[in-house]
Parts: sequence; C-alpha cells; structure tokens
Amino acid sequence: MTDAASLAVEEIVAGYGGAQVLDGVSVSARPGTITAVLGANGAGKTTLLRTISGFVRPRHGKVLVGGTDLARRHPEDIARAGVAHVPEGQGVITELTVEENLRVGGLVRRDRSARAAALNDAYQRFPVLAERRRRAAGTLSGGERQILVIARALMAAPRVLLLDEPSLGLAPRMVAQVMDLIRQLRDDAGLTVLLVEQNARSALGIADKGLVLNLGKVVAEDDAAALAADVGLRRHYLGF
Amino acid sequence: MQEFLEFTLGGIAIGMIYAAIALSLVLIWRGTRVLNYSQGGMAMFTTYVAWVVIDHTGNYWLGFVLALASGLVLGAILERTVVRPTIGKSPLNSVIVTIGLLIFLEGLAGIIYGGQYRSFPAAFSIKGLKIGGVALGISPSDLFTAGAVLAAALALALVFRYTAVGLRLRATAFSPSVARLLGVRIGRVLTLGWALAGLFGALAGVLVTPSTFLYPNSMDSIFVLGFTAAVIGGLDSAIGAVIGGVLLGVVLSYAGGYIGSDLVLVYGLVVLALVLMIRPTGLFSAAAARRV
Repeated sequence: MTDAASLAVEEIVAGYGGAQVLDGVSVSARPGTITAVLGANGAGKTTLLRTISGFVRPRHGKVLVGGTDLARRHPEDIARAGVAHVPEGQGVITELTVEENLRVGGLVRRDRSARAAALNDAYQRFPVLAERRRRAAGTLSGGERQILVIARALMAAPRVLLLDEPSLGLAPRMVAQVMDLIRQLRDDAGLTVLLVEQNARSALGIADKGLVLNLGKVVAEDDAAALAADVGLRRHYLGF
Repeated sequence: MQEFLEFTLGGIAIGMIYAAIALSLVLIWRGTRVLNYSQGGMAMFTTYVAWVVIDHTGNYWLGFVLALASGLVLGAILERTVVRPTIGKSPLNSVIVTIGLLIFLEGLAGIIYGGQYRSFPAAFSIKGLKIGGVALGISPSDLFTAGAVLAAALALALVFRYTAVGLRLRATAFSPSVARLLGVRIGRVLTLGWALAGLFGALAGVLVTPSTFLYPNSMDSIFVLGFTAAVIGGLDSAIGAVIGGVLLGVVLSYAGGYIGSDLVLVYGLVVLALVLMIRPTGLFSAAAARRV
C-alpha cells in the first residue's frame, strides 16, 4: 500500500490570499502509473501541482508520498523527498549552460558517482542535449527546453514526477515525442506521474487514469479510456 | 608621461579596493536583490578586529586572517538574524534594515573603540617604487592590495564556475524559485552569499585603512565609491564589479591628479552619470545581455 512511489492527495483546500482555488481535492495515484489532470483554465490544475510541491501551503489536507505527509513542508525539502515538479513555462535557467542546468538537478544526490552516471544517462537518452551541452540554455528551442527540464528533473532520481502542461506551445510532432517520453518514464523507470494538460486527447492517450477538475473540485475520475469515451464529459469539460 | 604612469598605476591600486566593495555588493544583490548599505560598516567593524589583534599580538597576518574570518561570520549572522525576515517583503524593508545596521555598527564601534582616528599598519612598505629612477606612483603595499583583491576575485570566479557550491550560488542568483524546485536549500545559499560579502568587505577594509586611518565612519566614502563601481559594472556581474572598480579608480586618479582632488566624489558621480546615460543597466548587467 505504501510503496515509496505512491502519491495520495487527501482533501486539499488551498488558494492564494483570500481566494480559495482548491476545495477539497483528493487524488490517489498508484506507483508506476500516469494520472492525467484535466480541466479548463482556472480549474486549479496548476495550483494542485504547486500545493504538492510546496509552493502553495494548503489550509487543510494531506499530501502523502510513500505514506509520509509532506504538506506544509518547504519546496526544497519536498524536492529532496523525491518529488520532481516541472513547472509550466518550463523554468530552464537561461543563463546557465545545458549541462549546468542538468547538474543543478542532480545536486540533491550525495553520491558523486551517481550524479555523474545520471548525467551520462541523460545524454544517452537525449542526444540533442549532449550536442548542446556547452550552450547557454537560453539558446534552446521550445521543444529542446521541454526535454531539458524533464531531463533535469530526472537527474534527482525522483519517485514522483509532476508535469505542468508539457505540450504547451510545442509543434504537434514534438507533442507526440514528449508524450512518448512520459510513457517511457513510467514503463522503464516506474515513475508515478501526475500530468496536467490542456491537451486532453494527448494526455488521455498515454494515461492510466484521469481526473477532471472544475472550479477547484474533482468532477470526474475514471480510467483514462473511460474518460476519453465519455462524450458528455468531453463536450462539457475537455473540448474534444 | 611619468605623471600619467603614476596616476594610472595608482588609480588601478585604489580601484581594486572599490572592486572589492563592489564585489561584496554584487554577491548579495545577485542572490536576494538586496542592496547592502551596511557593507561599509561591516568592513569597518572587521577592520577593528584586525586592529585589536595586531595591537595585542604585533602579528599583522594574524590580524589579517582573523579580520577576513570575522567578515565571514558577521555576514552570516546578520543575514540569518535581521536580513532574512525582510526577504519577500517590500524592497524598502531591506533598505531600512541595512541602513539601520550601518548606524548600529558605526555606533557600536564608537562605543567599544572610541571615535578617535587610529593608524592602521600596512603589510608592506608604502614607499613608492622606482624603476631606473622613474617613480611608478605605486608602492609594494599597493601591489599587495591589487594582488590580494585579484586573487580573491579569481578564487571566487573559480568557485562559482567549477564547484557544486558555486553552481548552487549561481542557480539561486538567476532563478531562486527554480533552484528551490530542484532541492537547493536557498536559505543556506543566501547565508553563504552574505558571508562571502562580509569577507570581501573585510578585505577592502584591511587593505584601504592604512591610507585613511581607522574610525567608525572610515569606510563611508569608500563604500560610496564601491557602490558606484558596482552600479557601473551592472550590479549583477562579478567581472563588471572588478572592471567598474578599476575604471572608477583610474578616472578618479586622473581627475584628482590633473584637475584637483577636492571634488573626487563629484567626479565619481559624473562618471556614474555618463555610464548610465550610455548604458542604463551598467556595463555588464545580465539584463543587457538578455536583451541582445
């Protein structure tokens, strides 16, 4: 039950200042699965991820990772507990080189040889990053940046990966590649992935489970295939 | 021609002092967007540490090392206690707190050591060097000053570029929220930034005080010029701080030598105004680099 990579969000209430964004949201993700979090703008998807990673302090509720409650801890401590958050808008550190960005991601690991091995793995998996390792990350294209931030998150050997709109602004071919990569991470590394997407069709295509947020509440939750087949839901909330 | 050489070399030597102060300001500004107005006070206070140690033991180098060490400790303590609570609040909070710190440190120094001017020893002779009868306008002490600041700046650059600590410092400076997301404990990084700033301030204090005397306000005008150098360099750039310091030192040396030394601070202001008219973000700021 409490596998190290399990993620359970219980009855989270959170928001910014006086505005409440999440109103009792619960999510339960089994280890090694992809859970798609869908919904319109303003539904609370990004706030959910920011609450899990500690940037938003929940007023109520728990965030259990491997059975340990991480709610109300600092973001850096949550990252050290094995939760990697890839924010929307990508968050590459443009002034650092590609390799330096990757190395920052690996700093939480004590073991030097593990850090070096992780860097090697990243270059093997993503040859495009190896080619550009000495360049400033600010010179990369949008698709390359998306690959860089995911590769950087993997440097810490996380158990749980939170992805916020990884397809945003990418060409359709790149979207397919990124989705493929996320599926591989689940299958090869056994990562538990929470995937926030506007692009519901692509997300449900690779997810095991999906849930739909609306105005801070979970309005639907089911197997990905069942959600994708629900015509009423698609028309109301998912727009495809 | 000989005058020109004298003014140039002398300007570079004093410019390295401005560079050290500028570096200490840049170290803090990059990480936290806090301008540390108490930097001169910190430098003065740690110079008193050196003065007391040298006075009691007669050992200059012991005083030198302890001043740098006390700079590290003072910077770390001030960040943890009074500066940390201002982070994330209105920028005015940190301005008021660091100005308050300056007043506090200068007052405390006055209470402990008194207000009188103390002479402070130099590590090496302050007699001007000559080559083949030509006066160079610099002394062995000046050479030591320039060499010490250069070596410290170079060491800092190497740490920034090649160590894990340096990577944490840079990641935090460029993007604190991303750094936290990646598990960097930015609180510790910011404390380290202040500690390093304290060290560079102490270095500047110990190096400049032989030519100014030591008293509670002795670093005020040096701070103003160091601040000017940092702004000329762009406030964001360590290299900019060093070049800004040397540039300012040389220009002020020419102005003082050829025009007259009564208005040196005013000339500093003129240099600052000219640089900011041509490049409003300073010579080396990251903001300018990003716009390209």
